[in-house]
Amino acid sequence: MTDCGCEKAKAELEEYLHNELRKEDAIDIREHLEHCPDCRGEHHVGRTLTEVMQRACKETAPEDLRDQVLLRLRAIQSAH
Amino acid sequence: MSASTLLERTAATPSGVDGLELPVMTTDTTATRDLFEAQAMPFIDQLYAAAMRMTRNPSDAQDLVQETFVKAFASFAQFEQGTNLKAWLYRILTNTFINTYRKKQREPYQGTIDDLEDWQLGGAESTTATSSRSAEAEAIDHLPDSAVKDALQSIPEDFRLAVYFADVEGFSYQEIAEIMKTPIGTVMSRLHRGRRLLRELLAGYALERGLGTGQGAPIKKTSGSTKK
Repeated sequence: MTDCGCEKAKAELEEYLHNELRKEDAIDIREHLEHCPDCRGEHHVGRTLTEVMQRACKETAPEDLRDQVLLRLRAIQSAH
Repeated sequence: MSASTLLERTAATPSGVDGLELPVMTTDTTATRDLFEAQAMPFIDQLYAAAMRMTRNPSDAQDLVQETFVKAFASFAQFEQGTNLKAWLYRILTNTFINTYRKKQREPYQGTIDDLEDWQLGGAESTTATSSRSAEAEAIDHLPDSAVKDALQSIPEDFRLAVYFADVEGFSYQEIAEIMKTPIGTVMSRLHRGRRLLRELLAGYALERGLGTGQGAPIKKTSGSTKK
């Protein structure tokens, strides 16, 4: 097993988190994370950041907006 | 998904989004409208959520979403079926936001934010010790949604959009580059700096609220109230 090391892992953690790494690179990072508590902790913070944003940013469009949009689409269509 | 397949896929998207000229309606306009409604309307909640983060208020967000749907419908003939409708809608949303709303709420460093040095943005690279990283993650995880939204709202707009598109919407860097009309390198830099600022803000909020980030403060359940 060859460990890619903390430097490479830390530099690419964000791309790893966003699934932007090539397969081989992602495997390197995953293997490194298994053996390095430090980088694993860093990755955990990164993932938590993403999760809390997803949770906080959920919105439901007001019913009224839905109706308004449909009305406008119909108005555009009948104008043609 | 590799960047190259995405590039091919999104490059096939018609270029009519920017011009937004009204298309010539075909005779089966009702069928077109039904198709548009069936395909585009399911994205209304997501587009509204993005519009809320862009405009920062429900009234402007609703106007922005309406405009987006009207423009998207007007150029729907140029949308190539089978390509990425969600990314196409977000491109229209972002264009509309930049062209109309951003002018109203221009921020001090707008346009040059990418050129600022990290020290000018505040904060520093994390030097958190391993042992306290899990405490930091837990503290961030316990923050109320309002604190997370406040933090997002307070970072520079270009960073906020990049972070939102990547982390909340799950767009690829290539898709974000196309939505924001910037090189991928700029997307990566905005994401990196945006996330770093957010992390520091959230760690700060957690500390203020006594949630602790490994400095010995006890982890407490949040009451859900927003302290300004």
